[in-house]
Order: sequence, then C-alpha cells, then structure tokens
Amino acid sequence: MTTDTDARDELIDLAADFYDQFAGGKIPELQLPTRTKSNIEYDTESGVWTYGDRTSTRSANSVRGARKLLKAAYTIEFLANQLDEGRSSTLRELYYLSESWDNDEAQFKSQDESNDLVEDLEIVTGVTREDFHMRPEESGATLMGPLEIREQTRRGEREIHCQEDVGEGGYQIPNNPDMIEFLDDDIDFALAVETGGMRDRLVENGFDEEYDCLVIHLKGQPARATRRITKRVHDELDVPIAVFADGDPWSYRIYGSVAYGSIKSAHLSKYLATPEAQFVGIQPEDIVEYDLPADPLSDSDVNALESELEDPRFQTDYWEEQIELQLDIGKKSEQQSLASRGLDFVTDTYLPERLGAMGVL
Amino acid sequence: MTSFQSTIGDEEGIAEELAEGQREISIAEFFEKNKHMLGFDSGARGLVTAVKEAVDNALDATEEAGVLPDIYIEIEEVGDYYRLVIEDNGPGITKAELPKVFGKLLYGSRFHTREQNRGQQGIGISAAVLYSQLTSGQPAKITSRPKGQSRAQYFELIIDTDTNEPEIKADEEATWDRPHGTRIELEMEANMRARQQLHDYVKHTAVVNPHARIELREPGLDEPMKFERATDDLPAETKEIRPHPHGVELGALIKMLEATESYSVSGFLQEEFTRVGKKTADSVIDNFRDVYYGRELSWTPPRAHDDRDVAAAVSEAVANKGKAATTAFAEGVAETVSGNDRLSRSELATIVGNVADGVEDDTGKTFGETVRENAVDAAWRAITGVDTDGEPVGAAAGDAAGDGEDDGGEADSPLVADAYALVDEATSTRKDDAAVQAMADALTRRFLNLDGDAFRIARDDLDRLVADAANFVAEQHDATFGETARENVVEAFWSRARTVPDDPPKVRDVAADRDAAADLLEAMRTTDILAPPTDCLAPITAELVEAGLRKEYDADFYAAATRDAEVHGGDPFIVEAGIAYGGNIPAEGSVELLRFANRVPLVYQRGACATTDVIKSIGWRNYGLDQPGGSGMPNGPAVISIHVASTNVPFTSESKDALANVPAIEDEIELAVREAARELKSFLNKRRSMQQRREKQDVLGKILPEMADKVSEVTGRPRPDIDGALARIMNNVSVDREVSDGTVTLVVENHSDVNEQLEITDIVTTEPTDPSDGTVVDMDGEWFVQWKPEVPSGDERELTYAVDDDAEFEVSVGGVETEKLTVNA
Repeated sequence: MTTDTDARDELIDLAADFYDQFAGGKIPELQLPTRTKSNIEYDTESGVWTYGDRTSTRSANSVRGARKLLKAAYTIEFLANQLDEGRSSTLRELYYLSESWDNDEAQFKSQDESNDLVEDLEIVTGVTREDFHMRPEESGATLMGPLEIREQTRRGEREIHCQEDVGEGGYQIPNNPDMIEFLDDDIDFALAVETGGMRDRLVENGFDEEYDCLVIHLKGQPARATRRITKRVHDELDVPIAVFADGDPWSYRIYGSVAYGSIKSAHLSKYLATPEAQFVGIQPEDIVEYDLPADPLSDSDVNALESELEDPRFQTDYWEEQIELQLDIGKKSEQQSLASRGLDFVTDTYLPERLGAMGVL
Repeated sequence: MTSFQSTIGDEEGIAEELAEGQREISIAEFFEKNKHMLGFDSGARGLVTAVKEAVDNALDATEEAGVLPDIYIEIEEVGDYYRLVIEDNGPGITKAELPKVFGKLLYGSRFHTREQNRGQQGIGISAAVLYSQLTSGQPAKITSRPKGQSRAQYFELIIDTDTNEPEIKADEEATWDRPHGTRIELEMEANMRARQQLHDYVKHTAVVNPHARIELREPGLDEPMKFERATDDLPAETKEIRPHPHGVELGALIKMLEATESYSVSGFLQEEFTRVGKKTADSVIDNFRDVYYGRELSWTPPRAHDDRDVAAAVSEAVANKGKAATTAFAEGVAETVSGNDRLSRSELATIVGNVADGVEDDTGKTFGETVRENAVDAAWRAITGVDTDGEPVGAAAGDAAGDGEDDGGEADSPLVADAYALVDEATSTRKDDAAVQAMADALTRRFLNLDGDAFRIARDDLDRLVADAANFVAEQHDATFGETARENVVEAFWSRARTVPDDPPKVRDVAADRDAAADLLEAMRTTDILAPPTDCLAPITAELVEAGLRKEYDADFYAAATRDAEVHGGDPFIVEAGIAYGGNIPAEGSVELLRFANRVPLVYQRGACATTDVIKSIGWRNYGLDQPGGSGMPNGPAVISIHVASTNVPFTSESKDALANVPAIEDEIELAVREAARELKSFLNKRRSMQQRREKQDVLGKILPEMADKVSEVTGRPRPDIDGALARIMNNVSVDREVSDGTVTLVVENHSDVNEQLEITDIVTTEPTDPSDGTVVDMDGEWFVQWKPEVPSGDERELTYAVDDDAEFEVSVGGVETEKLTVNA
C-alpha cells in the first residue's frame, strides 16, 4: 500500500529529475512507454497485457513538449500540496483548477489533456492516481448480490449488504474500491453486465437471488473502480467472472478491458485486469444459433472488427473464430434483442445454457 | 517595327522612309506624322521624352569623356509654356558640330556602330528641338563650354523644316559657371500630367547609373530631387566591334561580301567578323564545303582475303613504268588502302598521290597526272565496284537479269555489305535481318545512282535519299523505318562521309550566287564560334546593380545577377537583374518592375515589354513571392530591375519604350531574374526559419524559466541555471564564462547542425596574460583579447587567459546570427 508520503516523495523526485536536467545543461525530458496498440505485450506471469519496451520522449525541445512539461511541473506541485493537506479532488476539478494558476501557459486546454497528464504521472512515478487522491467523476456503476461489505467513508464506517441493504438500484461502487472490505458472501459467480437495461431485467427477474450471482453493472466501458472491484471479487472471493455484453466490436473491447486491461491504462493492468473473466455473449455464434434480431455491420463496425483482429489482446483462437464469423454474417445484436423470445428468455434459457456450457454453473 | 540596325538589310525601314521624306515632304510634316513613334504624342509625354533624350545624351557625352556625370534638370512654367533646362558637365561640343548635333535629324555617330550607347538613332534630341520649335516657336538655346576654354559659346538654333538644316540665329560668347559642359534650354507646349513618369524616369536613371549625380527641379516639387553618386567608377569604356558570324542575315551578308576587299572566303571571314581567326575560318569553310559541295561517302576497302584486288587493278592501269616501279606502286597503294577503315574517293586520290611521289623518289620513274588518275579510277573501281561513270561493273548486269528484281542487280555490289553493316548498327536490334538487308540494298542502289563515282551528297539530299529508300522498303517489304531509325541511318553514313578537299568558291562567286551565300550563312551558323567580346558592352555589373537599388530603395534584402554575354542578330547583349525586397517597399499590390535598356529607364508601355512577359511567366511562388493564380505579376514588397545592354537593343518601336520579344533575350532575362530570385528565395527561407526560431525562442524563453522556477519551488532548491539547456534547445551557439584562480575560460559550445566560424572579442580592464591562441591588443588601458575559433557542429572550444581577480569583462561575439547566440559571459 502506497502511503501519502510515498506518493508525495515520488512526485518530488520527478521534479528533482527535471531540476537536475536543467542544472546539467540538458534539455528536460520525460520518458514514457509508447501508449499504442503496437506497444502492449502479454505478461505471461500475470496473464495481463502491459506496455512493451518502446518509449516516447516528452522533451522541452519543442514548444509543445515544453508546454507539457511546464504543466507537469504545476500539476506536481498541486498534487504534492493536496497530499500534504490530506485532501482529494476529481480529475475535472484539476482541469478547472488550472484556470487559477498564475501562468497562462500552464493551463489545460481540455480535460483530456489533464487526464492524460495524470496518467503520465502515474506511469512515471508508479503511483496510482487514487494514491494521488485524484478521482474521476462517479461512474454510477453498481453491485447487486449476496455480498456484505464494510466501506470506509469520510463519515465513518458503513456495513452494507448488497442485496438486503440496498434498493433496486444496488450498491454504488465508490471511487476507491480499496476502501472496501469484504465481510461475508454467498456468491457462486459474478456476472458483469454492460447495459443498464439488461441489469434491471436480471434484477427484476431475480436472477441474482436464484443463482447466487453478484450482478456488476459495467455501465458501458467500465471505470477503473468497476474493474478494480471485479478483480477483487475474483481474487479475494474466488468466484468465476462472466462478462455479458452486446454482440458488437465495441462490447468486445469492454470485455477486453475487464479481462486483459485497456491500452490507456496498461501500466495498471496487474491491478485492474481479471484475465480469468469469461465472455458470455452475445457471441456472433449466438446471433446465428438463437436467430436473434440483428442490425447490419456499419463501416466503422467492420473497421473496428478488423482492428481487433490485429489487437494482440484478441489474438486467441476463440476470438479470431468469433470475429471472422461476425465479419462473415455481417450482423450485430444487442443484449436486449433476446427479448424477442420473451422477457424471461434471458434468465430462463439463454444465461443458464451459456453459463452451463462455460462451466460456470 | 524593330530598330534601325536590324532593318538595314533588304527591308524598307524608316531610314529609307526618312531619306525619301527629305526630298518629298518637309521634315516638319514627317515629324507631325510620326511623333507618336518618337514619343511626342502628347504634351505630357513630350516633356518626359525631351528630358529623357537630353539626359541620355548628357550621360553618353560625359561617359565618353571619362567624366563622372553631374546632371541638372529644371522645368519651369513660363506663361503658357514650359521651359526645360538640362545641364551636364560633359566635354561640351565644338562650335562646328554643335548645330548639327542638336539641329539635324539622323545626325549621330552611333547609327552604324556596334557599340553600346544610350542613343542609337541620332533622332532623339533633335526631335525634342523640333518639337519645342513647332509648339512654342522658340529656338533651342544652347550653351556649350568645351574643357579648357575660358568662355562658353551661346547659340540660338532653329531647324529649317524644309531642308532639315539647322539655322543658327545667335552665336555669341557667354559666361557660364560650369568649367565645361553643355546646357540646352527648350520651351515647349506641355503639361505636367506625366509627373509620376518623369520622377520614375529620373529615379530609375539614378538606380541604373549609380555613378551619376542627378538633380531635378520642377514646379511641383518643394525641394529639388537629388540623387547622389553610389560609386566613383565610371562604366567600363566600350569598344566598337565587328559583327559576329552568328548574327548576320543573308541580305547583310551579301552586302558585306560585295563590299569586302578580301579575295578568299577565309580572308573575308577573318577580316569582317569578330571572333573569327584562321582556325574558326577553317571550321566555317569545312562546314561551307559540306553544304555547298556535299560530302563524299566513304567505303570499306577490301581486306587481304577479299577478291577485290586493288594491287592488280592498279598494276593493270599503269603502263610503261617498268615492272619494279609498277609493282612497288601497286603494292604501295593496295597496302595503304587496306590500312584504312574507310575511304572516300578523295582520300584514295591523296593516297595514290603520296605513294606515287614515294615511288618516284625511289625509282626515278615519273608518275604523271594521267597515270595517277588512271590508278585512282582503277583502284576505286576495285574498291567500290563502280566505274568512272558511276555504273556498276562486271557481272552485275547478268545478275540483274537473273533475279529480275526491281531496279537493278546491285545486290552483288561490294557496297551492299558495307551499307548493311551501317544500317544494322544504326537501327535497333529488333529490326529483322531481312528488313535491314532490304534497306541496305535500296540505299546502295540509290547511292550508285548518284552523279559521278565519288558518291558526293549534301546532308539534306542524304536525308531525302534515306527517306526515299525507307519508303521503298516499307512498300516492298512491309518493314518500317521510322523517323528515328532514318535519322540514325543518315547519321551513320554522314558521320563517315568525308569533307571534300575542293577549294571553296571565291568571295565574288559567293556574292553573285544567292544560294552559295545562303550555304555560307548556314555554315557560319552551324559552326561553334566564341561569343562576341563583351568589351563593346558596359554592363552595370551585379555589384553596382545592387548598389543602385540599395541607394534608392530602403529594403531588407538585395540581390543582383549579371549574365555572360550572348548574341542576338550579331549583336552581343548582356542581361542583368536585381531584386530588392522588404523594408520600406510597399507590400500592397504587385511588385515594381524597373526596366532598363543600355542604362536608360523604360517608362512607358510596360505591358508591351518582353521583360514584363518574362516576369509574368516565372512561377514566383517558388521564390517566396505571392502570385495570384500562379502566373502574372507577383505581389509583395519587391522591386525587380532588369537591364539589357546591347550594341543594338531591339525595341518594339522607335520611341524605345518596350523591348521586343526576342527569344534569345527573353531566355537570358529569365535566367538572370531567376538567378537573383534564387538568392531572394534563400533569404526568405532563412528569414522564415529565423522567425520560427525567434518565435520558438520567445515561447520557450518564457516557459522554461517558469518551469525551472516551479521545479525549484517544489524541490525547495535554488533556481537552476537553464542557459545551457536553452542553448541546446535552440541549436544555438553558447558562450559561457568561468573565472577561477585568475584564469578566465570562455566555453564556446556549438549546438547547431553546422560548423560555426566565430569572432570573439573579450574586452578586459586589466592586462591579460597567457591567452590561448588569440591576440591581445592594448587600447588605452583596455585590452582586447580576440579569437577566431571554428567550432564544429556539436563540439566545444575553451578559450582561456590569465588575468587579475578584480578585472571586468565585456565580451562580444560575431560571425553568428544573434538569434542563434546565447551569451552568458
């Protein structure tokens, strides 16, 4: 566990590196792993995908590079002070806060810029942004299932049962899931669901109760906290994880980031990714087998599928077969297309069949 | 209509027209009819033209006398008229010639000379006199003071318009403050509507005559316009030259041939033309022979194993010379012949002659003309298989009957194999063998049909012959010999044909024979001849073109180029171009184009001028100037000046406003302008990159110190020295001072990608000792330590010296742009 002091020291060390480069008559620069698809590698030890050896340099040699480094220096100061004072802020707040800095050149032009910079600092210092006390906006992702937890809130400890103590909306995953302690559970497996509509259907049909399942709502591309808690559920409670998403290339990426880690945060893969997570569907195979209502693939869908074929994370026999099948049939289906066979079809037939076939049930 | 000189030939030019006019119509009438051509079509323009003619004359007169021109121009309103006064500090004009110079149209020393002068026709100033006289009724008032005379001479002069003769109304001594010079005063009906053109003319004259001092006063000016000298060097003195062989026309050549005292063409060429000596004359004459007589085709003589026995043939042709001499002669001829790759009949004749001379010396037998001729005939028959009438000999006739093919049986002629080899060599390997053979046959037949047995043919006849043979082959054998193949075949035969030894015709024969004269002209044109000497021209020189622009335009950049002399119509010419850019030159609208011919500014008819056409045709975007649509006049803060100097500048009209579109001159204008424009381009590129560097420097110069402040704040350390990092980022040259224990070290680091040659001077308040390399100079209690180190890219140098601890320093660094320099010393 990284303490606030450790995090602060790492930041100051980085500033000292810049200082030494200046003093040595050198051009200040920052070496970062190249954050592209071609520079992620499979780490056999942990089973996740992390950055390879290629690096890019942010150098003050150009006006652009110099601006980035200036912003880095200001951000370092801000984060160090925040840690000193034991406070925290959101990424969005950092973006707005830069407006108050005395230097126009140091201000962020967009929130993407400040988000990227914080990620850069995470990579260089090896400290996660949570440990810098930087959090994203609440993503709104939830848990629902037979799990009892203790959460360390700013207003004291809370013990919550994620089925009995919550409303239909479920338990909202906090920004730093490492503040949660698992107390007790009766979970056989966890099902990570992409869309809110499908999550609500499962809850309404009592799927979680019937199968002792923890329903994790991913809410689209999952936030770090969602991925982190999924990993913790898997590692600490020793239950299988299944991902249930739409049958299109974008949803495969959602699965990819849960299971293998995302390209942008590949430096945190070991901390966020759950390589054992399995993909339930909708598989291209299911579209054919269950004769699901489908939309034709758009050009961008085809491009995305083709690019996934080249993505090292998807270079497995299973995915190559599925993606090529999808390109072949030229169709995609949403989770909710299962409703074409009745509202209970998904809980009574599809999931039990699929999970059974996967060996989860 | 071009200028007088180019129409001196057979066309009826204005000179003839004028000469006729003298008899039939009055000069005033002529002037009235032609004043637009002479630049006097309106009162506004007349004034400018009069100034122009008078100033041109003044400049020519002073330069001829080797005096730096000092010219004064004054225009005054006098009642309804304008009075124009032009003064120069020239040599003055003698009493005898003065009236003629100013008073008679077409009097002038320059009309027939090939020498660069401003005026060429001797028409200008007298036209001005006439114009003033016709409009105001006032005589021209001329004061002249030749050098060394204590008093000046004052004349009033009018032109008798009936006789074109000047009449002197007053002739008296006068006083004048100039020690020498000429002053002309003209009154004329005029107006100042062309003030801008007048100012342009004077200003441009100053640009292009940086050695002249010019002053202009006119009623619209509060202060006189004064143009000072930029150089004290007079333009190089020009020499008169003879015409160049590449520049004469047929009519002119015939006239020269008729007039010359030379007897031979060689003598004529050497006497009458520039750049023609014995060697060049010989080359011209060889070419002349080729055109006039044609060449003799050469053939491969028989080799040892061949059955064409030259020795036997020669020996048979010789009678009564005794066996030994005959054999020696026959063997000698045969041996020499077989030692040659190819022979023409004339070469064979030479060989026979040489061998005969040798045998005569050895044996004492005489081989007379007849014997020699017979021997040549016989040997040639043996080599080529044709007799003296050019008919095939021997079995050929029989064969012809045998195979019954088209027009003869020359397939057996020994020449066919020879022709086959040449055609085969000249055509591509893809031609099939039968086609080559057919071509060789067809060519040989046609060669045999040539008159005589020497196979003489001119180049154009050879072209036709080959084309004819190719057509025949195409028809009969369905094999095409295209344009290129034909040319190659012609070239194969022509290059092996020999120039005939015949004497060229004499000058009087050439003069009498238009075709022969045309042949000679062609020979002159095809011969490589040195460009005409340029001492007849006085280019301004690139240096002074630039100085002229520098003087009148306050710009950021100047470039100039002078081309080597070229020839057009026998007249050498030189083109010079200059460009000024930036500074106070207005950035809006198109660039200003200054046009000059023989140092005279051209003010009117810009659109009709060849220079304008050339400027418009250049793609200026390549050179960093804006050009809407990619063609036409470029825009931007630039002045382009073009000067064409020639012994005969081709103008579009007699008013000398615009250069005619002569391709040779246009090409040179383009090259000169492009040469200067290339410099402009690299200047603009450099400026752009310097600007980017400055912008980068500005931004980084702000950001990096702030970043340094921030990191020192965060780390709690003192602010770091960032100059080294800055210099490195800017690819700069940095100079840093270190002082310790009485030793000063200047560290020069070159972070740029080129080697830098620096000049570093350190001014020290106490005496320095033991300097590394550099020199120390004591200047009144201050010491200048100077080094000139060359620092390779990416390298550094340490410059050291010893000095007292309390010394103060001030360093200055030269040899590198300030943008690239970071001094911390």
